[in-house]
Amino acid sequence: MINDDPGARDLVAIALRSFREAILPVVPADQRFTALMIANALGTAERELAAGTGAEPALAAAVGDLLGETGDLPVLLPRLCAAIDSGRFDAPDRQLALRAVLTDITLARLAVSNPKRLSAERREPGR
Amino acid sequence: MSGGGKAGLAPDQKAALESWLTGQAGARSVSVIDEGRLSGGAISLNLAVTLEIDGGPLSGRHPCVLRTGSASGVSASLGKAEEAAVLRAVFAAGATVPEPLFVGADPAMLGAPFYIMRRATGVAAGFRIVKSEEPRRELAHELGRQLGLIHRVRPGQTELAAGLEFLELPEPTAALQAVADFRRWAGRYAASDPVLAYGLRWLERNAPAAGDLVLCHRDYRTGNYMVDADRLTAIIDWEFAGWSDPMEDLGWFCAACWRFGRNDREAGGIADRADLYAGYEETAGRRVDPAAVAYWEAAACMRWAVIAIQQADRHISGTEPSLELALTGRMLPEIEMDLLRHLDAVEAAP
Repeated sequence: MINDDPGARDLVAIALRSFREAILPVVPADQRFTALMIANALGTAERELAAGTGAEPALAAAVGDLLGETGDLPVLLPRLCAAIDSGRFDAPDRQLALRAVLTDITLARLAVSNPKRLSAERREPGR
Repeated sequence: MSGGGKAGLAPDQKAALESWLTGQAGARSVSVIDEGRLSGGAISLNLAVTLEIDGGPLSGRHPCVLRTGSASGVSASLGKAEEAAVLRAVFAAGATVPEPLFVGADPAMLGAPFYIMRRATGVAAGFRIVKSEEPRRELAHELGRQLGLIHRVRPGQTELAAGLEFLELPEPTAALQAVADFRRWAGRYAASDPVLAYGLRWLERNAPAAGDLVLCHRDYRTGNYMVDADRLTAIIDWEFAGWSDPMEDLGWFCAACWRFGRNDREAGGIADRADLYAGYEETAGRRVDPAAVAYWEAAACMRWAVIAIQQADRHISGTEPSLELALTGRMLPEIEMDLLRHLDAVEAAP
């Protein structure tokens, strides 16, 4: 399929901006919660479209190091789960190394789903 | 809330309810004033109703809540008739809960089983409860005392636990049963999300030995109790109750995900753990075991994670399209971050 311009990211971004500027201020109180959820959903979608797969190579390298394998992140993550299940990360030092990588993966997801929490984590790890 | 509908009782439902209530209350007549949906509860539907009962032992005007199930639930939740039985048991044990008045187990009348309880006054919203200059130490203390009372209900007791035979005992232990449930609810995500895989593994390897089993609320947290001025008026939302390790409820109350931004007040964003624990030990007849509470805090993060997955699935599957449920699925990273930070702290402890 051929996509026309502007693309999805641009459309979502301008829809969110218009919603925030023109609609949100005049939404009646009993619909405000729904309106805020709409803004939240559009914001998450925009950040996901903007981020794309940019963070994946670095995370794939880190997961690959843990496993002693190479590959793309969507392939490596299920393998990491299987390795955890089989006890390969039970030793305390392996758990420590694992948690560091899991934290990086989770921070990358927070960048899309909850940037406020992400900046709180960066200011003060553990909140 | 899924979509902000205000739909209450249809006229034929109202008529059927009134005639049924008249029989149940031994009254000459009952009229039901429908005051609309109450906020809160992604799983249950709560309607504010006032019952005007003419005749019989309950003759008078009673502000109540009619609570019924929504279109799809999550696996852990009790049916409404069972939930009412739990409420009856903890009410009898002396806990501050709304008194259940009528139980409609027959789904034919309103489309799903329901019960009617007295309506408590005050607010429940977590973000409002935690908004206070000073820590709410007395409130935390009282919530500890209340939990101790609830935990006096134990399996097999002839009086207090009468009517709770439908609650299953955990096997082989409360902790291992919980992890097995989490693993089942996580479904395919446990094989593709390594934070879930690690959390499940950790919970299996660190599970405490079998101990006391008590009636646990299993959603005992800020947001699920009501406060009027500074007085606790009701502990609500009993749909997840079951037999478990008493430390589970304390861990859930203190877990990072239920502090509503007040991370400095580890007991539910309202006060210190010491306040909650002291109240608990006054009434429970047992000491708080901080290591076990720490375990159950990790379990709390995992439980919330798999509930979020299930909530999102209600939307994704098309069963119940809802923006709120969809966004709950996107809370997974912050829940998992809480879990990782908690495990960092537990593993770093001597």
